[in-house]
Amino acid sequence: MWYNGRTLMNDAILLKGVNKTFGPTPAVTDLDLAVPGGALYGFIGPNGAGKTTTIRMIMSIIFPDSGAISILGRPSALDAKDRIGYLPEERGVYRKMKVGAFLTYMARLKGVSDANLGKRIRDSLERVDLGATESKKCEELSKGMLQKVQLLAAIVHEPDLLILDEPFSGLDPVSAKLLRDLVLAEHRRGATILFSTHVMPHAEEICQSVVMIHQGRKVLDEPLSAIRSRYDPRAIQFEPLDPKADVSSLKALPGIVGVARIETGYEIRLADGTDPAAAMRSITMAVAPARIELSRPRLEDVFIRIVSGGAATAETEEHLRANLQIGAKVATV
Amino acid sequence: MKKILQIAWREFVATVSTKAFIIGLLFMPALILVGIAVGPRLFNQRSFRVQGEVAIVDPTGLVIPELRTTLENRRTVARRLEEARDTLAQAPGSMREIAASQIAQAPAPDLRLVERPPDADVQQEKKWLITDQKDEKDAKRLALVVIHPDAVSRAEGKPAYGSYDIYVPPNLDDRADNEIQQSLRDAIINARVSARALDRDTINAIVRLPRMQSVTVSKDTERRTVGGFNVLLPIAFSVLLFLGVMTGGMSLVTSTVEEKSSRVIEVLLSAVSPMELMAGKLLGQLAVSMLTMGLYVAMGVAALASFALFGLLNPWLILYLLIFFLLTYLVFGSLLMAIGSAVNEMREAQSLMMPIIMLLIIPYMLGFPISRDPNSTFSTVISFVPPINGFAMLLRMASSAPPPWWQVWLSIGIGVASVCAAVWFTAKVFRIGLLMYGKAPDFATLIRWARAA
Repeated sequence: MWYNGRTLMNDAILLKGVNKTFGPTPAVTDLDLAVPGGALYGFIGPNGAGKTTTIRMIMSIIFPDSGAISILGRPSALDAKDRIGYLPEERGVYRKMKVGAFLTYMARLKGVSDANLGKRIRDSLERVDLGATESKKCEELSKGMLQKVQLLAAIVHEPDLLILDEPFSGLDPVSAKLLRDLVLAEHRRGATILFSTHVMPHAEEICQSVVMIHQGRKVLDEPLSAIRSRYDPRAIQFEPLDPKADVSSLKALPGIVGVARIETGYEIRLADGTDPAAAMRSITMAVAPARIELSRPRLEDVFIRIVSGGAATAETEEHLRANLQIGAKVATV
Repeated sequence: MKKILQIAWREFVATVSTKAFIIGLLFMPALILVGIAVGPRLFNQRSFRVQGEVAIVDPTGLVIPELRTTLENRRTVARRLEEARDTLAQAPGSMREIAASQIAQAPAPDLRLVERPPDADVQQEKKWLITDQKDEKDAKRLALVVIHPDAVSRAEGKPAYGSYDIYVPPNLDDRADNEIQQSLRDAIINARVSARALDRDTINAIVRLPRMQSVTVSKDTERRTVGGFNVLLPIAFSVLLFLGVMTGGMSLVTSTVEEKSSRVIEVLLSAVSPMELMAGKLLGQLAVSMLTMGLYVAMGVAALASFALFGLLNPWLILYLLIFFLLTYLVFGSLLMAIGSAVNEMREAQSLMMPIIMLLIIPYMLGFPISRDPNSTFSTVISFVPPINGFAMLLRMASSAPPPWWQVWLSIGIGVASVCAAVWFTAKVFRIGLLMYGKAPDFATLIRWARAA
């Protein structure tokens, strides 16, 4: 209605020209964002990019200095709190409270007055293998178990919009998968999901679209498929069946401009306009393959390309990658 | 509103179900009960027996025989009982019986007189007092008494009788000192009476006039005046107010700090607004304080009823206690909660809480002047100064000269205004402080937040 002709009803989250500064430091600058209803959006960027600030503004926990926000068609999340599920980055529980009581309390605060709430909570705990913890105190649970309980608290009222701030940070792979399945189940149920992460592979795994921000500014906002085609590296990854095979002949094939050795085999770069399918066919005819696949753009590389304007020095690139990888090791081992 | 009640209920249950709360709640009544039951045994006068030697230099030669007579146990006990009965005549019946039974069993002092020559050198005699005794079994040396030569017969040309000097060793128990001086007083007066050939019993009968029990006359009834009630009631009221405010206020700080440090606060803020959270917490801890105060008030009323003294308490005062408690609680509770929301841990809260706790203690320092002179300019002004106006006004209302009604309601009005100011300030600080981690703020920072928000 007021944003590029989009109607308020279509978008679960709509931000227009949002600015926020903390003292002299700008945290978010002139941010536009539209998350359509039913979408699964990744909100990515390195630590300190302004993701949590943006999410807190979306949740009306803090307020923008300027700009407009609309959540689920309302001018403020305060008017739609009961329809939003939120898992903050700084998340905790009442340590002395029992798990079942905590979930019941959160559900009641979210306006659930269902008489079957007890059963619903028991069922949801069962679903994440925590059936036995209902009458345990929260302080008796491990960190992974608590993360699950916290996510359950965010979805216990079956929200229309689910906002997750770094949901997988500090989780072991098994718990991370369980949590990811829960998030995907919520998406299938019909919830719009926005989740932030600085670990880009997480976003690549489950998102339909990504918004990337850097130093408070939006640098990318597109469906993952569009990003993949736009930032297509135009390369094929190739691993010969015989590791000692001579691959120099590949350079002579039509449409191929270079062959470079990489850790897992070779990267074969294609000339503009070359049909990848035809190139793959001719490569496999020339050298028997153990594995051949199209290189896909990694969000990390895309991010570095955008941020550095395609001219990152080795040092800045390393710095940016390190920033993106903090915490990723635990989650992706 | 439903959410506020949910928060309040959780806050209430989480506080009252802790062991610390239950122990704290029962501590005070338990202390009083123990005081009543064990106190008299612990501080029992019976266990102390004045025993030892008293050296006496008597140039008159008349005091020593009288003193010997006085010290006879029977007479000492009789004298004590007589004094005690005079005092006890003012106490309620049940207490009178308990006390009388204890006094009757008090052991008589065992004092041995060591007669020194009338012309003994006092300086030499003093050494007797402080000489180390070789054998522990030797009687303890309690005092050296030097009777003035004109103690029994007035010296010529002098309007007054002489007296005596008494020297004691270091660390003498004051009860022993007291006992010796009482006996001396009796002995010297007896000696004077005998010297004038008068009869002591007749004189005793003439001067004896016990203080009588006054009768309080009110519209419906007459009752014996209970001494001390007018002093105790204001104290009891301000203690109740203090306890109520402290119980709720401290829990507000700890629970807010806990919510912050356990990082549950942002989860809560996704479901409720900061104002709802604040209101819910204030309400929940209000219920906790009301429970505490209700219990103590009920115990106080039950105690009054058991001594048939309930009629002394104006029930309206309990209503005003409630009103002033609400106002004082809301001011202090919200300020303490603002502090809780601004800091990261309890240790940081301590220094910020200090001035607020001091404010709560001021009424105690002012309690005595206010309740003694409830309508002085000082008392009147203090009862309009927030945030301690509630304490001062309650002290004045419970005193023997209650203030005019317009002053009470003006004080309530000021209280309501200060509640609004405190809640406004807290709401501002709360909104910013809840999500602020890192360096602990000082008061200036809190005020800046309140302005900025």
